[in-house]
Amino acid sequence: MAPIGEIVQQTSGSEVLSRAQSRAALVPDCMVEAKRIANTVIAGWHGRRKRGVGENFWQFRPYAEGESLSRIDWRRSARDDHTYIRDREWEAAHTVWLWCDLSPSMMYKSSFGTVSKESRALVLMLALAEILARSGERIGCPGVMEPVSARNAAERLAAAIMHAPPTNGLPETAMIRGHSDLVLIGDFLDDADRIMERLSPLARRGLRGHVVEIADPAEETFPYSGRTEFTDPETGEKLVSGRAETIREDYQRAYLLRRETLGDSLRRLGWSFVFHRTDHLASEALIAVHGYLSGMPAAAVAGGRR
Amino acid sequence: MSAFAFANPAILLGLLALPVIWWLLRLTPPRPKTEVFPPLRILASVLKREETPAKSPWWLTLLRMLLAAALILAIADPVLDPRTGSLSADGPLVLVVDNGWATSTDWDRRIETAEALIADAEGADLPVSITFTADPTHDAVPASAASAREKLAAARPRPLVPERERAANAIGEALNGTAPGTLVILSDGLSAAGDEAALATLGGLAPADIRLIAGDGVSAVALTSATNSAETMSVTATRLPDAAVRSVSVSALDIQGRPLASGTLQFAAGAATATAEIEAPFELRNDFARLGIDGLATAGAAHLLDDGFKRRRVALLAGESGSDFQPLLQPLYYISRALQPYADLIEPTTADLSVSIPQVLERNPSAIIMADVGRLPAGAYEPLQRWISRGGTLIRFAGPRLAAAPSDDPLVPVILRQGERTLGGALSWSEPQPLADFPDFGPFAGMPRAADVTINRQVLAQPTPDLAERTWASLADGTPLVTTREQEAGRIVLFHTSAEATWSNMPLSGNFVEMLRRLVQMARAGGATTTSDGSEAASSALPPYRLLGADGILTTETGTAKPISITPGRTPSASFDHPPGLYGTEDGFSAVNLLAPGTELSAFQADLIGQSVVREALAGEEATSLRPHLFALAFLLILLDSLVVLFMNGAFSRLPRVKRAAAAITALALLLAFHPDPAGAQDAKPGDELLMQRLDTTHLAYVVTGDAEVDRLSEQGLAGLSEFLTYRTTLAPGAPVGLDIATDELSFYPMIYWPISASAPMPSAAAISRIDAYMRNGGTVLFDTRDQISSLDGSGTTSANGERLQAILANIDIPPLEPTPEDHVLSRSFYLLNDFPGRYAGSPLWVEARQEAAETNSELSSSGDGVTPLLITGNDFAGAWAVDNQGNALLPTVPADEMQREYAYRAGVNIMMYMLTGNYKSDQVHVPDLLERLGQ
Repeated sequence: MAPIGEIVQQTSGSEVLSRAQSRAALVPDCMVEAKRIANTVIAGWHGRRKRGVGENFWQFRPYAEGESLSRIDWRRSARDDHTYIRDREWEAAHTVWLWCDLSPSMMYKSSFGTVSKESRALVLMLALAEILARSGERIGCPGVMEPVSARNAAERLAAAIMHAPPTNGLPETAMIRGHSDLVLIGDFLDDADRIMERLSPLARRGLRGHVVEIADPAEETFPYSGRTEFTDPETGEKLVSGRAETIREDYQRAYLLRRETLGDSLRRLGWSFVFHRTDHLASEALIAVHGYLSGMPAAAVAGGRR
Repeated sequence: MSAFAFANPAILLGLLALPVIWWLLRLTPPRPKTEVFPPLRILASVLKREETPAKSPWWLTLLRMLLAAALILAIADPVLDPRTGSLSADGPLVLVVDNGWATSTDWDRRIETAEALIADAEGADLPVSITFTADPTHDAVPASAASAREKLAAARPRPLVPERERAANAIGEALNGTAPGTLVILSDGLSAAGDEAALATLGGLAPADIRLIAGDGVSAVALTSATNSAETMSVTATRLPDAAVRSVSVSALDIQGRPLASGTLQFAAGAATATAEIEAPFELRNDFARLGIDGLATAGAAHLLDDGFKRRRVALLAGESGSDFQPLLQPLYYISRALQPYADLIEPTTADLSVSIPQVLERNPSAIIMADVGRLPAGAYEPLQRWISRGGTLIRFAGPRLAAAPSDDPLVPVILRQGERTLGGALSWSEPQPLADFPDFGPFAGMPRAADVTINRQVLAQPTPDLAERTWASLADGTPLVTTREQEAGRIVLFHTSAEATWSNMPLSGNFVEMLRRLVQMARAGGATTTSDGSEAASSALPPYRLLGADGILTTETGTAKPISITPGRTPSASFDHPPGLYGTEDGFSAVNLLAPGTELSAFQADLIGQSVVREALAGEEATSLRPHLFALAFLLILLDSLVVLFMNGAFSRLPRVKRAAAAITALALLLAFHPDPAGAQDAKPGDELLMQRLDTTHLAYVVTGDAEVDRLSEQGLAGLSEFLTYRTTLAPGAPVGLDIATDELSFYPMIYWPISASAPMPSAAAISRIDAYMRNGGTVLFDTRDQISSLDGSGTTSANGERLQAILANIDIPPLEPTPEDHVLSRSFYLLNDFPGRYAGSPLWVEARQEAAETNSELSSSGDGVTPLLITGNDFAGAWAVDNQGNALLPTVPADEMQREYAYRAGVNIMMYMLTGNYKSDQVHVPDLLERLGQ
């Protein structure tokens, strides 16, 4: 009988990128909610739905005393007896750090999932990069790429990941400065306490975090039975279960408990937590993360969380 | 014998291995599946201890131990045998032992049974009388057990039917009034002739106790007869009727004992007989020497075949091949219908006798039947005579062609008068003749007189002194109907009447079938051979050659068997002097089989003895072997174990995936099955286009003689006639075709024009033979000698062209000819014509003479729908028809009369219409009668 799970090859960058772009095409431009960084001066490409520094027309309003005469729109004012001022829409950019776990355990793919966890994580990350780049955000990858604001940021991120040394565990956070958004994609199979130890300093530095957990269906449903020998792909540890079906319920309980714990801890930090399974569509997770990034979590509830 | 025993006790030592098996089973856990699993840490927190069951569950081990034990016990073969019995002490033990053919399979057990009884008698100190029913002599005097044992050891089963009556009489004499204590009949279970008397005699001895010991009757299956039919050899077998449905396979073996073919006997429930068909090619069937039932070594299960069973191969030749749409008028129709069930018929592929005769001789037929063949091609006589002298049988039938043939034919048994004799015609006083009684010699001896046969017409034999003894059948007035002549090893037989129903109604009679069958049966089976001995030993005594043992195997030991005299037509029966086997010599032998055809086996009726009979089975019969049960148990345990192992490994949790895979495989198989074959059929041959062109339109054809001037005239003449036909009639022929008769295909042309030219080279014999075949197949050749003007010189001699025509026709089987009669169809098929002029006028147009001109059913004899196969004229038709490119006549007519040319064209039109419509226009003959009738 063929084994259920397997370790697959690392997914190639171009393939993931193309898939990510096709996913990203489905999602509307991302508007990162950035109320706490309202005074950031780097101009972004998209409007903030309010008056401010920008290039696009926002509204005409009557001239008020004391305002600069140079702001009067004479063409509009000539049409009637009042004088008008042309307001422009405020446009601002924001830094979003994207990171995904590329450890060996992410290479796992069972026969129930359509792709490996690593593949799905890369797709999500690059799709986010594509969407955010489209919106003019600055995109960086901790330990891999400095934040850039470019239309081809997704491509550059993909190339940088391909050339980056393999990493284990959580990201190097030395690069991250100031108030940014941080999107972490991984399987987070370590102890919830250990993960929180690494993440809580970041939260204290004022970073807004979004954690996406990618899981394979086999990891959640535990479809094994009979005498089975389990191997950990990271450590190589082996564990033999005489009758795997007997421990299914215990395992599922422990697994879900770990996720609940992690989700609760993150929410206490004010971070969002999205859980995603590889047998579902990548767009679900993408939309959920997108919702959190845009500050509209209500829309995300229907997306990836369960 | 104890009640429970092992046949192979040594195997029980294998039980010692059980602990080892137990240890191995306990020790080896099943190999785990390996799975990669990233969240191993979570799993590890759930798995408290490392759960590796090093041992199978105890009940699984027990199951497997039971399995091993069952296998070992099964191989050791335990047997249960509850047998009891005691002998009456009132008198001697009388043993009547059947040692007929049906006992050979279980003879050892019969001996064992008898020995047990003798041992019982010895224990009770009783004398023993032992008799074997199939032996020729009986010594039934009660003697000591030791001497009974000696007799028992000397006895053998015999390939005969037991004669219980004789044995019973011998016992009666030997006992001489002493009442036997126990009478034991060790029967083979089959009834035989004289059972009633035998049982009455035995009952009259007043034994104190009667026991009947019989076998299970499984071996009582015997082959009784075998017949050769057209496709198969059918074998009839018989068995005891009370058994259930049973199927037995029969094998046909060659003389070396190698199996060649087999069939299946399917006995229906309650049926005593069954028939099997052994399908094998005819050549293979002739190698059958013996039939045997598989797995049954008895003399009854073997059936010996001799030469009589070999199917004869008969070649059929006819003077004219006839047309398929009038099958009843074909000369070979009745013959092939009569012989099909009895012989393998060879029909030549071509009507050309110079090709077909060597062709059929190559296949070495037993007999050749020639129906109404008058004259053979010159080259065919020699091989045919060689074949006859080597033992072939030639059977000929008369007919118009034979009647017209010259009398020096060497292949006719008697000298024939030219022409035929009509009985009961308008100008004859005689009546159609019935047949006389068949003489008591020859193959027809013993047949009843054929009262339903009347002969209207026959050919007559010149009377010779030995004619009577060479006549196998004659008419009521004594004229011979079937005559014969031996020629070295072979024989020629002539039926003086035709093979179809025009000359007599004999072919419609059942006697015809029987006569032909007997004639063919008389023919040597293997066809002509080089040895020339044969059937002279018709009723002489044949020495035993090979005898059948009781186990159904042929042996060379002839022992006490005596020569047997076999008369044909009677099946010899087996007896002690003539046990079943082959009698004769290596070259020819007759088979004597144990059971006569039609025998049915029935059960031995021991109740006729008039006293209560205790029935018992043979020793070992009631013993039941536990082996099958143990094997079945072991198999069930294996199944159970497999299920358990599958269940434990979770095989059933993934069943839906299996279904998906199966569906995919099915779809793939379907796709492959319906994948179209890219290679289409390609059967076109070169030359097809030309053939299609020739078939599309009718073409006039002429023979290319090799004389350039004649050939040019022929072509232009036929072109002129084609033009005339197109203009005057609905027939629009294509361009004329010049034929090389040696090579070209002739069958596309309704008529071939052949201008005879003495200056042209003589056509080869093969070419003439092809023309002969063309005419036999219904084609017509118009011979034109073009010598009308030159024969007018008054010399009365035949012209050079005429001589050439005679030379050409000398080797062709031509019917009698006559000048075109006034009312012939030719004279009215399109135009009404009185004569048929060409460039010359005056030469008659010769056509086939109508055979039955005097009878009402005219025009029936010829195969070509009444169309004459040849026309002969001297009027130079082509010369009159010939036109040049402008349509002007090339040659003047003689005398120069344009009306004559017109009539010549009309003659050509009439000839073509006659060719194409046959006797359709012959109704015109009756027009005056019809008009007269309408007028009334």
